[in-house]
Amino acid sequence: MQRRYRTIPDLKAHESARALAFEDPILAGKLTAMGLLPGTLIEMVRQAPFGSAYYIKADGVRLALRKEEASSILIDA
Amino acid sequence: MKEPSGGKLPNIALVGNPNSGKSTIFNHLTGLRQKTGNFPGVTVDVKEGRMQLPGGREAILTDLPGTYSLYPTASDEKIVAAVLTNPADAHYPDIVVYVADATHLEKHLLLLTQLLDLNLPVLLALNMSDTAAEIGIKVNAAKLAERLGIPVLLVSGRTGENISKLLVEMDKLLAMPVPDRKNFYLLSDTEKLVAEAVRHNLGLSNTYQALLVAHHHDWLPSLSVQHRSTISAIVQDKNFASLKNQVDETLERYDQFTPIVQDAVQQPPQFPSTPTDRIDEIVTHRWLGPFLFFAVMLLVFQAIYDWSAVPMDLIESFFSELNIGLKKYLPEHWTTDLLTDGVLAGLSGILIFIPQIAILFFLVTLLEEIGYMARVVFMFDKTMRRFGMNGRSVVSLISGGACAVPAIMSSRTIGSWKERLITTMVTPFISCSARLPVYAVLIGLAVPAKRVFWIFSWQSLTFGSMYLLGVVAALVSGYILKKILRTREVSYLAIELPVYRMPHWRNLWLTVWEKVLAFVIGAGKIILVISIILWALASFGPGDTMEQAKTVAQAEAAAQQLGEVATDDLIAAHQLEASYAGHLGKVIEPAIRPLGYDWKIGIAIVASFAAREVFVGTMSTIYSIGSAEDDVLLREKMRTATFDESGLPVYTLATALSLLVFYALAMQCMSTVAVVKRETGGWKWPIIQFAYMSVLAYLLAWIVYNLFV
Repeated sequence: MQRRYRTIPDLKAHESARALAFEDPILAGKLTAMGLLPGTLIEMVRQAPFGSAYYIKADGVRLALRKEEASSILIDA
Repeated sequence: MKEPSGGKLPNIALVGNPNSGKSTIFNHLTGLRQKTGNFPGVTVDVKEGRMQLPGGREAILTDLPGTYSLYPTASDEKIVAAVLTNPADAHYPDIVVYVADATHLEKHLLLLTQLLDLNLPVLLALNMSDTAAEIGIKVNAAKLAERLGIPVLLVSGRTGENISKLLVEMDKLLAMPVPDRKNFYLLSDTEKLVAEAVRHNLGLSNTYQALLVAHHHDWLPSLSVQHRSTISAIVQDKNFASLKNQVDETLERYDQFTPIVQDAVQQPPQFPSTPTDRIDEIVTHRWLGPFLFFAVMLLVFQAIYDWSAVPMDLIESFFSELNIGLKKYLPEHWTTDLLTDGVLAGLSGILIFIPQIAILFFLVTLLEEIGYMARVVFMFDKTMRRFGMNGRSVVSLISGGACAVPAIMSSRTIGSWKERLITTMVTPFISCSARLPVYAVLIGLAVPAKRVFWIFSWQSLTFGSMYLLGVVAALVSGYILKKILRTREVSYLAIELPVYRMPHWRNLWLTVWEKVLAFVIGAGKIILVISIILWALASFGPGDTMEQAKTVAQAEAAAQQLGEVATDDLIAAHQLEASYAGHLGKVIEPAIRPLGYDWKIGIAIVASFAAREVFVGTMSTIYSIGSAEDDVLLREKMRTATFDESGLPVYTLATALSLLVFYALAMQCMSTVAVVKRETGGWKWPIIQFAYMSVLAYLLAWIVYNLFV
């Protein structure tokens, strides 16, 4: 499948980007309630020890996301 | 909830986001007068407690689970939506105290604006206001109160600052009439149509409440089947897109309250690199993180295993002294035996767990309080999810190496019902400290002490294999249960990693106290009953068989010219054989014969359902050395034991290994059964677990016996 947007797992450690949209509607409800909104500045902090989870900062709030969850969040270039 | 005495005490709910410090405020307000509320189908404890308001009036305070919004994704968050959308609910609050983190106010107001639209009388308590001031955040409470139209108070759960003022404000708010505010969020046309239709249908007074019911109609427990289908029809008819509307509403609310926060809160120029970031660089590091975790777990393990030894010995010797004393002064009668060997033994069996439970919960709560547990979940989410469990399950499994009872109780913080159940089901497979004496006797008996490789001996390798067997059985069972158990829950990780902070000691002690009490009351009853049943089985026999056994033993002892102690041991052995337990051992002999066991082992298996270590004591009694408490002597006796009919030795390598496997896997522990019953809220799961573990133990023991025989 051709990907037009980058998602959170594309970020390198300490790289930042703005969230654009969510692909998973249920998760979108959860994340917006937690303060991760379209337009929020997201910083990749690090990957989990055994992979497949990410430690990110969304506007100062520290969040842990699974790979599938992180991949459903589109970010700007 | 059970009706409070008097029936009419006002309900006050504490509502807020996770990590808002709600529970600390709750503990300040209720102290020891709290208990776990009766919320059916809830996986996480919901606490409620009585509190006294300044006027002397009493109130019921409920600490509702932390949630970010009234659009929940986890079962504990659903409680908040269920209670607040149903004015007929027993927990429906008269007033709400909304607790928010003053250091992250811009993230904590979403849920508050939803409560405002429900027209609930709300009071905003800005917690951690002392921390906010320290890091340079200035909150203008008066301005916030004016813009939100509710009372606002700066408090600190850590220092207890302004808690008394909070009480005064709560009292005032209770006396005021229900407010009539204008809505924070203006419903779209479709939302209005749907909400109005639902409102009329259910006779609700609040439009936003009706909108929430429309969103949640497929799971709200209060709806009747008829209402559910009517609302379902309304929602379909109006093309109501629930998920999209939820997000739109949330974003709209942010747009509304963000300017208010900016107006009332002065932020420092920029977020400095905080200690939390520096700690996490090590604690969640790719290699250091797990390494550190296992070091911490080693410490936890050491604590429950080792530090509990002294208090456990004290409890044990206290009861055994009491037992001896009572036997000396009370008449020799079966009621004395019931009191000493039945009731007191049962009580001792309950209280013996307190040190381990207290130590484990002290440490686990400490890790939770400082914010470390969220990191554990982050690091082990994937590994444990493969086996149907949660990152937190690692803690339960490792603690299970000391004792399954506190370990299973600690799984309560796992939010997902399925992950928590699987953790509860597989934790008893981990070899606990009670299996050690059984392993020691059997391995010493049948496994040669010869060395293999450089430093290993067959004995130590067998020992290690037993632990490995437990871990493998736990993980494989978790994997199987994951495939079998069906659930409608969608599982997400998506958790906040809170800022590290100092623990609130008060929270720690209250948790330890509550867990100990819960075990003693909740599981203690069952342990006591089973203990008395097991005592009766071993103390009584059909007809006068017990008396006959005594006469036979006395004659035998006289013929062999045995001393007093040896005579008593011989009587005990004969009587145990003649008792109901002895009969049971013989009845099940055909069933356990394929595993290489005789009826004597059968008796030990029946008796050691009380606890695995009872196996050793029972075997000693059977082999007439009950008073010796000597492993070496017992091994000698067992080594020379033969089958009654064939005269062949019982304890070959095959039998010993088969028995080892049986004890590694079988649920030979009434306390674990009792605790699983308490934690799962019924007999269904402990019975399934008991059956599953016994069948697995039997099958593998049979295979092992046949491999080595």
